[in-house]
Amino acid sequence: MDMTERKQLPNKQERRKPVISNNLLRTLNWVLLVVGSLFLLSPIWWMISTSLKPMEEIMQFPPTLLPQEWHWENYVHTWQSAPFTTYAVNTITITLICVVANVFVNSFIAYGFAKIPFPGKNLLFTIVLSTMMIPGFVTLIPQYVLFAKLEWLNTYYPLVVPALFGSAFNIFLLRQFFRTIPNEMIEAAKMEGANHFYIWRKIALPLVKPALATVAIFSFNGAWNDFLGPLLYVNDESLYTLQIGLQVFKEQASTQWNYLMAGSLLVLLPVIILFFVFQKYFIKGANITGSSSFDK
Amino acid sequence: MLKRFCLLALALLLFLTGCAGFTGGSEGTQASEGKTEDGKVKIDFWTFWGSEIRRPVIDKIIEDFNNSQDEIVVEHTYIPFGDIWTKELAAIAANNPPDVVINDINATALRGQEGQAENLAPYLEKDDISGRFYENLWDTTLYEGDSYGIPFNTDTRLLFYNKDAFKKAGLDPNKPPETWEELEEYAEKLDKKSGNTYERIGFYPLYGVGSDVWLLNGSGMNYFNEDDEPVINSETNVDTMEWIKSWKDKYGEDTINRYQSQIDSQQSNPFFNGSLGMMANAATFYTQIRDYAPDLDFGVAPLPEKTSGNGNTSWGGGFVAEIPKGSSHPDEAWEFIKYLTDKEAQEYWAVKNFDNIANIEASESAAASDELSEKDQMVYEMAAQNLNETLLTPMPAYAPDYVNLINPQLDAILIENKPAQEALDKAQQDVEELVEKTAQ
Amino acid sequence: MKKKKWWTMGRRESLQGYIFVAPWVIGFLAFTLGPLAFSLYASFTDYNITSRMDFVGLQNYDQLFTGDDLFWTSLYNTLYFVIFSVPLTTIGAIFISMLMNQSLPGMRIFRTIFYLPAVLSGVGVYLLWMQLLDPGTGLVNTILSWFGINGPNWLFDPDWTKPSLIFMKLWSVGGSMLLYLASMQGISKNLYEAAEIDGAGAWKKFLHITLPLITPVIFFDIITSTIGSFQIFQEAYVMSQNGSGGPASSMLFYNLYMWIKAFQSFDMGYAMAMSWILFVVVLIITLINLKLAPKWVHYEGDDK
Repeated sequence: MDMTERKQLPNKQERRKPVISNNLLRTLNWVLLVVGSLFLLSPIWWMISTSLKPMEEIMQFPPTLLPQEWHWENYVHTWQSAPFTTYAVNTITITLICVVANVFVNSFIAYGFAKIPFPGKNLLFTIVLSTMMIPGFVTLIPQYVLFAKLEWLNTYYPLVVPALFGSAFNIFLLRQFFRTIPNEMIEAAKMEGANHFYIWRKIALPLVKPALATVAIFSFNGAWNDFLGPLLYVNDESLYTLQIGLQVFKEQASTQWNYLMAGSLLVLLPVIILFFVFQKYFIKGANITGSSSFDK
Repeated sequence: MLKRFCLLALALLLFLTGCAGFTGGSEGTQASEGKTEDGKVKIDFWTFWGSEIRRPVIDKIIEDFNNSQDEIVVEHTYIPFGDIWTKELAAIAANNPPDVVINDINATALRGQEGQAENLAPYLEKDDISGRFYENLWDTTLYEGDSYGIPFNTDTRLLFYNKDAFKKAGLDPNKPPETWEELEEYAEKLDKKSGNTYERIGFYPLYGVGSDVWLLNGSGMNYFNEDDEPVINSETNVDTMEWIKSWKDKYGEDTINRYQSQIDSQQSNPFFNGSLGMMANAATFYTQIRDYAPDLDFGVAPLPEKTSGNGNTSWGGGFVAEIPKGSSHPDEAWEFIKYLTDKEAQEYWAVKNFDNIANIEASESAAASDELSEKDQMVYEMAAQNLNETLLTPMPAYAPDYVNLINPQLDAILIENKPAQEALDKAQQDVEELVEKTAQ
Repeated sequence: MKKKKWWTMGRRESLQGYIFVAPWVIGFLAFTLGPLAFSLYASFTDYNITSRMDFVGLQNYDQLFTGDDLFWTSLYNTLYFVIFSVPLTTIGAIFISMLMNQSLPGMRIFRTIFYLPAVLSGVGVYLLWMQLLDPGTGLVNTILSWFGINGPNWLFDPDWTKPSLIFMKLWSVGGSMLLYLASMQGISKNLYEAAEIDGAGAWKKFLHITLPLITPVIFFDIITSTIGSFQIFQEAYVMSQNGSGGPASSMLFYNLYMWIKAFQSFDMGYAMAMSWILFVVVLIITLINLKLAPKWVHYEGDDK
């Protein structure tokens, strides 16, 4: 109540000055965004244009900016060059599990690091961070041997089971967001007899929705684009993923650029759509930070 | 709301884990089984040939092999280039490797030393097939006299030249340059300038191949002599580097760089529209001309000699079929490798892919195959002949990554104007130290 | 009586804390610790993955520090990359998220466009950049030439290869933009309105409200992108000549050199020693960051 009143308080005269400069700023902002978009889109444009050319044209010198003829059938051909429908189903399976697991498990672990005091927390957290610092390929071989001993080769277990136990990056990220939740809110809930599990679920999680959306998008990306993981652990071609499938357009000495680009764009499409849709969770995020000073 | 979401997520997880990837795949892990229902031995064959051009060819060869006998069934798995060997290594370490893998010929001896591939000497004692292959290729597979992989395909570097451009420049299109000196002369004539910019570059040695190819061509040997001693700062090598540098100085950095990354990225190629008069490249570069610039009138020739009588030494690489250490069916794998490198399969591969192969007999008959067009045959024959003068650059077991010490010095000569003698002396010293250290 | 005293509120809370972090600890013990311990041990051996693993003491480390010029080159290249790319991408991401954190027409589309490069991954993108950075016909130099600028030789000039990669990184800065946006969306609008009433301009609002409140995410971004930048690998592997870090070793980054040692020379013990040296370097930098954090990172939720 108090806040809405405040919003209506200033009279027209007081607000006019900022409004004008605001409009100017907004226009400038908009222009910057348009210019930036053009810059960012130019490589994408090049990909699209390449994907629609025949190979003869791609090999032409100097390169053409626009396709002379638009070969939309390249996309059909691309999809048929390998069992891409199977690969898509496989990729979606792995990705969904990883996303769900990442959001839940990491938010759980991160809450513990952010809001519950316990002995050894700082040391443990430093160890969490340090797991990010070892380059992946020195543990690649021993990890492979480990999964082989577990008889997990040629299954998706090596790809999804580790995700059930959290990842340093996401834990750290969510910890940062949980820490911005006012301690008073948690103390108040504890006074009423709530334990941390209840607080995590009912109070903390709803407050960090934008961060959860971020983790969801990051882990979607990570799993969707993972190449080395599926490549190492899966032997059956029927279990391959989209990123492995894209490699068929690359021989050691020549590349079918049009199909590679068409394939890359097709693989990219779901990610873009998902991001476009998911955005509203950023906007809808609760205002936590800074609100405490008003609540008091 | 949250509760419902949790339940939904849980249901989803349960559903998804029922999918194929969680039930152990259709064949489980390879090491544990290896028999088909009708009692045949199943062997796993890994290649990086997954493209729509190569895959059908290798699949047909496998099918033919499977039909040719009734004891062994080969199963082919495609794994992308480069990563295939990382995966193979992990599989060997986990004692769970496939039975046959296509691997880089230049690392074969090293892989023998490191115990990654099976020693094939016992099999060769029974049936010696070493005579099938070009000698340089065969020798590259040997570590301490034993072979660790059987050569499959190979390649070689040739000189491609634009006949139309030759005619316009007043050169005889049927007389390609034979020496470095002629190369310079011809290039000068082919150069076409408008104002300060080149419309056509006659020739630049590093379009299509690296400095190392010219060092090889000039000296007639690779970086190590017969006693396994590095020979990098020889007089002829210094000379060759200075020669390459003179090309760079002639055209200037800006002109050179105008085409370089196009050529490196294997896209729009200035040779196709006559912006580049001559170019050294792999023989299979021909297939790109055939497919993407069918109207180009071009010729092929061996790489020119440094001086008359010096020899047209060229550079090549290739791949072998090897049995990874720990394969559960090495005997059957050997049977398949024998088939894979025998005349029939080799010729089929050569003709269908227009690729150079290791088997001499197959190579010769491929060059005359009816399935090839006249132009195909012309190039193929040239390449097949060239294989006799093609050297490989195996990674020596005593200094596997020596090139990483040489390449920066070669770059320094060309980019930072470091005197060739000084740079090669440094490379020589660095490699000698490396050899010494590894020997300890 | 005794038992009751032991079971205090604090202990009960600690127990809950341990339960919360237990999944990570279990996962760490099950999947990570073993391989890590193995690689630490193997760094004192001549491990070659397949047939050899003899203890050689400190020989690998000794060789790295005293007899390997390329090790120092790769360390220098990597530090160069980290020092420039981390601040530039951080500032870039904050700047873009400021632009994005408005309600303007088409904002959803803009956000998607800016995020797009971050999801494009894989070898195809690096090959694409090789085209774009071509000194003669590439798009980048073509655009520069419209403004009368004679573009550099990018990937062929050892002085420009690392800036090329940093430039590429800036292109895909939209990934961390997401973090900042998520954080900025959490800031109460009331704060800005109150500041507006006090007559604060856009810059002041940014400096006094936005910036302090997003410090937890800046801190996160700096730490993770430092760790990530130290491990730059694939860009150099794909874009340098023969994947060996050329020209003139200017793209021989730490992880690339390590990869060459591990998977081309099969000198895995040596590579593992390298990885532990990198670990110590990054750990020290991170610990310094953690120590400095309380001076500038502002957690609204913490007790003051």
